[in-house]
Amino acid sequence: MTETIARAETLDTELDGTRLATALAQTWKTERGLWGALTTVDHKIIGRRYIVTAFVFLVLGGVLALLMRLQLAQPEARVLGPDRFNQVFTMHGANMMFLFAVPVMEAMGVYLVPLMVGTRNIAFPRLNAFSYWIFLAGGLLLWIAFALDMGPDVGWFAYVPLSGPQYAPGKRADIWAQMITFTELAALAVAVEIVVTVFKQRAPGMSLDRIPLFVWSMLVTSFVVIMAMPAIMVASTSLILDRLVGTHFFNPAEGGDVLLWQHLFWFFGHPEVYIIFLPAVGMVSTLIATFARRPIFGYLALVMALIATGILAFGLWVHHMFVTGLPRLGESFFTASSMAIAIPAGIQIFCWIATLWDGRPVFKTPLLFVIGFIVTFVIGGLTGVMVASVPFDTQVHDTYFVVAHFHYVLIGGAVFPLLGAVYYWFPKFTGRMMSERRGKWAFWLIFIGFHLTFFPMHILGLEGMPRRIYTYQPDLPWHGLNLFVSASALILAAGFLIFFIDAIISARSGNPAGDNPWDAPTLEWATSSPPPAYNFAHIPVVGSAYPLWDQPGSLNVASGLHSDRREIVITTITIAEPQARESSPQNSIWPLLTAITTTIMLIWSIFSPWAVVWGSIPVAITLIGWFWPSGTPEDEA
Amino acid sequence: MRMVVLLICIVTLGGCEREKRELRLDPPVAAALDKIALMQNRIAGAPPQVYFALDRPFETNAYNLSEGKRLYTWFGCKGCHGDGQGGIGPSFLDGWWYYGPEMVSIFASIRDGRPHGMPAFKNKMTTDEIWQLAGYVQTIGAYSAKTAAPSRNDDKQVRPSENRAPAAILFDQGPTPVHPDQGPTP
Repeated sequence: MTETIARAETLDTELDGTRLATALAQTWKTERGLWGALTTVDHKIIGRRYIVTAFVFLVLGGVLALLMRLQLAQPEARVLGPDRFNQVFTMHGANMMFLFAVPVMEAMGVYLVPLMVGTRNIAFPRLNAFSYWIFLAGGLLLWIAFALDMGPDVGWFAYVPLSGPQYAPGKRADIWAQMITFTELAALAVAVEIVVTVFKQRAPGMSLDRIPLFVWSMLVTSFVVIMAMPAIMVASTSLILDRLVGTHFFNPAEGGDVLLWQHLFWFFGHPEVYIIFLPAVGMVSTLIATFARRPIFGYLALVMALIATGILAFGLWVHHMFVTGLPRLGESFFTASSMAIAIPAGIQIFCWIATLWDGRPVFKTPLLFVIGFIVTFVIGGLTGVMVASVPFDTQVHDTYFVVAHFHYVLIGGAVFPLLGAVYYWFPKFTGRMMSERRGKWAFWLIFIGFHLTFFPMHILGLEGMPRRIYTYQPDLPWHGLNLFVSASALILAAGFLIFFIDAIISARSGNPAGDNPWDAPTLEWATSSPPPAYNFAHIPVVGSAYPLWDQPGSLNVASGLHSDRREIVITTITIAEPQARESSPQNSIWPLLTAITTTIMLIWSIFSPWAVVWGSIPVAITLIGWFWPSGTPEDEA
Repeated sequence: MRMVVLLICIVTLGGCEREKRELRLDPPVAAALDKIALMQNRIAGAPPQVYFALDRPFETNAYNLSEGKRLYTWFGCKGCHGDGQGGIGPSFLDGWWYYGPEMVSIFASIRDGRPHGMPAFKNKMTTDEIWQLAGYVQTIGAYSAKTAAPSRNDDKQVRPSENRAPAAILFDQGPTPVHPDQGPTP
């Protein structure tokens, strides 16, 4: 009985503002120092870490790109030899796709989704910590291997038989395949967390039609991850088995199939493009609404377009395989489905233009990046429709035209929105504004540098320059444009340099931002910048899709949560009615230990199949430690 | 901390050697590699100094071993030795090396030929090719697998791949007992 009374005193209805804040801060805090850093399960700390790590990989991948441009600036250059060049372009692609683009998008979701849906932590926070450590281990595996002259050299999609046992000696291809396993594991973990967070932890009142568009996009992305990633994990594991124990998944002489690899890879690889692009769609929709100063035009159409893109993403992987000799019907079908993706993309573009048209746009740096995105992405989309047609694709297959196309859609479609999003949410992450002046410099250098670098590649491709060549002869008509492209790449790099300098300077000494510097409408701006460990002192109650615009000044809040243990509100999927108080796990070292044992098992299994047997024992031990009841208040469900 | 740095350096060096791809040897190095010192009976002996200076690249380097495997097919070794099971020529999988398992012996067998039908390849292959092939042949008959050894080809499977130590798996002494010189176990 006394215990019940004591518990009742910890309810947030019984405590006044400052005492509640102190109690919550105590309950949700992350210890200072190394131990705190290793044990934290705070989605903001992990998200920030994830973002910073991914940007470090962006810099490393960018350095590789510059190396390649240096090599290709003139014919018969000797900066990189053929073997090193193979490693460098493979590392560039694999690094940018698996260690930068996907993780950074997931990381933005890890940081922002719980804030935007108004909850105190992501679902499965320990899994979240585990996910980051696994991602870091995968990245280290790839880059340390590269430093040891063991970097993969078979292209970022590692086609067999080139990557198979006969033609890829040593462990280089295995490093690639196992790095995939690491990053997919990390991505799958985050995807599951985001789906559960969005479905079950939304603030009361946030019905499906009031979910912020960025959250919608992360939800659709997470489903695409859950359905696409298993294909590549099967593929990369089969590849390792073929190479290590001599199975015959991809050996035609024993009934295996070489094309099976391409199907498995692209069944993942095409949705992968949308895993990168859909979060960007959500970012753009969020930024445009804020800076056009009006609700987004066509909310329902945009959500439908997101879902349609997510579904269509699984129906067009074969367009990567047009030159493998498909039946005519197959070619026609996948041409049609590839072109169909232009419909949801077109709907999105028109909704954004309509929003800007009808609004009163404020051209701050984030919006500049959005405009840059629209221009660049439309060009990339147009060349996409071009290569979707089989005769044209046959002509430009494996040329620089394709290189130009996918850099337009990936950098244009994802990196521009991402940089805009960083400028937009930086005040929330750090409590400080980034510089408008440096931001404009960064934008214009990146935008101009990008187009000068990549547009001429279309022409080089039409002139027949194949991708992935390490040099070319002086009598070929390519060297003028190649030199121009290499010089322009320096402008692009300068833009990124300014961006990173700005981020570092602003994080230290930028102008203090306040809670809501952009006067934005979504819930993450309802708390302080940076947010406290518990995100919200009271869980907000939402009455519209734009709560901070529609209830200016004061938000309705829910009460009745305990402050002496980590507690969150569980709501129903469709209309977000409160269902239950649920505990959220405390900090723990076990995710890190589990990540370490998993890493040992996965890397060891490149060298011996017995690693799977013996290596799983420490994994099991750490997992038991992870789930062992520790007697904390959170254990009582 | 110093230990960690040292460990990283060792791993780095090991990694470099194991995965390095020497596409073309320096001519002086290749010439020096030809100077093996054989015993009188042309069995066993010492490789040249440069072989050790290069850290025994034809036994431990994955690329060289895999090139050796391709040369094994390209120079028709299969015609007499099959996929290591032997045929007209001796088997590499039966646990018995007529001239010993040392690299120099295998190198000499390929370069200079042997009695009863093994032709000399010194006018058909370069010195480093012969070394690569010798390294591969030694791998076929090795009882403990090397991680650098090649894996299966995209062909019909006739025996476990080299990195699974086929000689240990398939060892069969047959109806005749082990050669007295060989000792009780392979």
